[in-house]
Amino acid sequence: MMRSSALSLAVAYVALGIVSLVLFAAPLWYAWQVTIQDGRSEILQSDAQRLTDVYRRDGGVALKNFIDARVNMQIAGDRILLFTDSTLKPLSGNLRIWPSNVPAATGNYRINIDFGDRARQDTLVHVAHLGDYYLLVGRDNKLFAPLERRFWYGLTAAIAVLSIAGLMVGLITRRALMSRVYSIGRTVTAIIHGDLKHRLPTNLSDDELDTLARTINGMLEQIEQLVHGVRNVSNSIAHDLRTPLAELRSRLEELALMRPPPDATFSEIDGAVADVDRVIRIFDALLRLAQIDAGLRRSGFVTLDLAELAATAVEFYAPAAELRNIRLTLHAQAPLQVSGDPVLIAQALSNLIDNALKFAPENGLIEVTIRRRSDGLAEIAVTDNGPGILDSEKAKVVERFYRGDASRGTPGVGLGLSLAQAVAKLHGSALELSNRDPGLRAVIAVACIDPAVSSGVAPSNGRAAAFE
Amino acid sequence: MKILLVEDNERVSQFVVKGLQEAGHTTDHAVNGRDGMFLGASEPYDVIIMDRMLPGDIDGLAIIEVLRKAGKTTPILILSALSEVDDRIRGLRSGGDDYLTKPFAFGELLARLDALHRRSHGINREIPLSVGDLHMDPMSRKVTRGDRPISLQPREFKLLEYLMRHADQVVTRTMLLENVWDYHFDPQTNVVDVHISKLRQKIDAEFERPLLRTVRNAGYMVTAGG
Repeated sequence: MMRSSALSLAVAYVALGIVSLVLFAAPLWYAWQVTIQDGRSEILQSDAQRLTDVYRRDGGVALKNFIDARVNMQIAGDRILLFTDSTLKPLSGNLRIWPSNVPAATGNYRINIDFGDRARQDTLVHVAHLGDYYLLVGRDNKLFAPLERRFWYGLTAAIAVLSIAGLMVGLITRRALMSRVYSIGRTVTAIIHGDLKHRLPTNLSDDELDTLARTINGMLEQIEQLVHGVRNVSNSIAHDLRTPLAELRSRLEELALMRPPPDATFSEIDGAVADVDRVIRIFDALLRLAQIDAGLRRSGFVTLDLAELAATAVEFYAPAAELRNIRLTLHAQAPLQVSGDPVLIAQALSNLIDNALKFAPENGLIEVTIRRRSDGLAEIAVTDNGPGILDSEKAKVVERFYRGDASRGTPGVGLGLSLAQAVAKLHGSALELSNRDPGLRAVIAVACIDPAVSSGVAPSNGRAAAFE
Repeated sequence: MKILLVEDNERVSQFVVKGLQEAGHTTDHAVNGRDGMFLGASEPYDVIIMDRMLPGDIDGLAIIEVLRKAGKTTPILILSALSEVDDRIRGLRSGGDDYLTKPFAFGELLARLDALHRRSHGINREIPLSVGDLHMDPMSRKVTRGDRPISLQPREFKLLEYLMRHADQVVTRTMLLENVWDYHFDPQTNVVDVHISKLRQKIDAEFERPLLRTVRNAGYMVTAGG
């Protein structure tokens, strides 16, 4: 039989049960034996005493008659009575001869008597020497045998029931456990073979296996997401780096074929270098996205002032906005301490402002707002008064390399909002896009650090607990 | 400048050595960590270019740590294919002075080497700076060109200060992003160019000789010459 924890546990419990039953029964048995023995001796003693009294009062003949009467009237019952003369010749009683293994001396003896017709054996007898007579009074020990048998049967039955029930429960538990373990094993095997969609079966029992299965399912969910992310990135790399690489290749090939004059050659080479730079930029952005998605950049989390960070970004873009007569303003409740990755938040905010700058009309308006929301998160919002986006496009704009119709002819590779989205996700929120009619409002939320309540919920732990 | 290049890739080494030679620098080249460590410890160099990942058992960061422990203060630029901010921080923490990710533009490398070399001669934050008739007093934060005072925003001041500290050297957009704004990422549009043209408005617009020049395919330079 296979080794099974359920079965060995059941066997151990059965053994324990048997041991305790025996421990319970043994003293009981002993007490019973002692009590019975004492009781019998006493009864014998008093029987003998009564007969002795008759002898003392009325003499041997009277006792003989008394015993005869008793034997004839059948009131002797189970008692053994024998009255003999000094040569042990029976005078009266229900025994035909003096048992050879009983000495003719006053005392109690435990002997086996062959009764001939009645196969009585183990018997306790009392012998009394009364003048010229001997009196033997006995009682059959087997009187209590049925009771004792019942005791033994009861004990054996209890042990049998305990063993069988225990083993049955063990086997059933083992079967149930094995079937669940096998189903978990099948799922895991399927996952090992590459199908990450499988989940361990769970029921509503909330037992140990179920809890474990739920935890493992959570882990599988995370693994699937990560693998999906990696697969996505490699697909994107394969797909979207091909285009600029193809351009570069044809440019170089054409150069080799056409051999244009030096001036044209050099400008083509410059163009080729620019193509390579573009490839590198896409590559870097993708790598960074992948790292953010994998959650690897958590290590960069520090306490930072969101208002200061936003001020730098707004000031950085101010001249570019000015150039197009766009009013770029900052509304911030300075200072606002948050926990986050300063490089990534700066990059995400810069992408949002950059995006707004692309779409805000000439003489337009871009508002960067930093505020603490009532739900305790710090909010970075970038609002423009451009055309906004269609609801149908909302999901698409955060996809990698997606470039809406409106962004045709503007610089960029289509990774800006994807990165903002990934950064938002890393900080426990999501990039929310909403139409302002006209205009677009893009919001990222970050966990705050409140110096006033810093002794309460630790912000860094709070972040992890709240968002994971 | 006398430069030590520790780099195992033949193609990259050839490209760098040739470029540096053309720019008028002498370059020693070590192809592995052992030679690099030996040369770096024994020869006086102005700047060391250290590839981060080298064949064999010694990597670039370990060499830097050894050189620093031995008391060498030669400025070191780390070349690396690892581009993440964390890698950069690790590189600088080991004792490197600057960090450049492969692949790189040669102009970027040259500009950074110049900046490192100049920085190694010490920056005195208090000494007034001048390029031609443009003067800056970092202490009083006053800028004048000729006898005319120029008023600058704090960030414009920082931008001009960085350019003037690296006068007669090419300063790339990435260097400006890193040193003036502390931005270690690539904003998609050329916002730096807009800042430069705004600064140019203030310091060059009404003067005959422009001091702030654009260097094609490389960056910018503040210079009074040529």
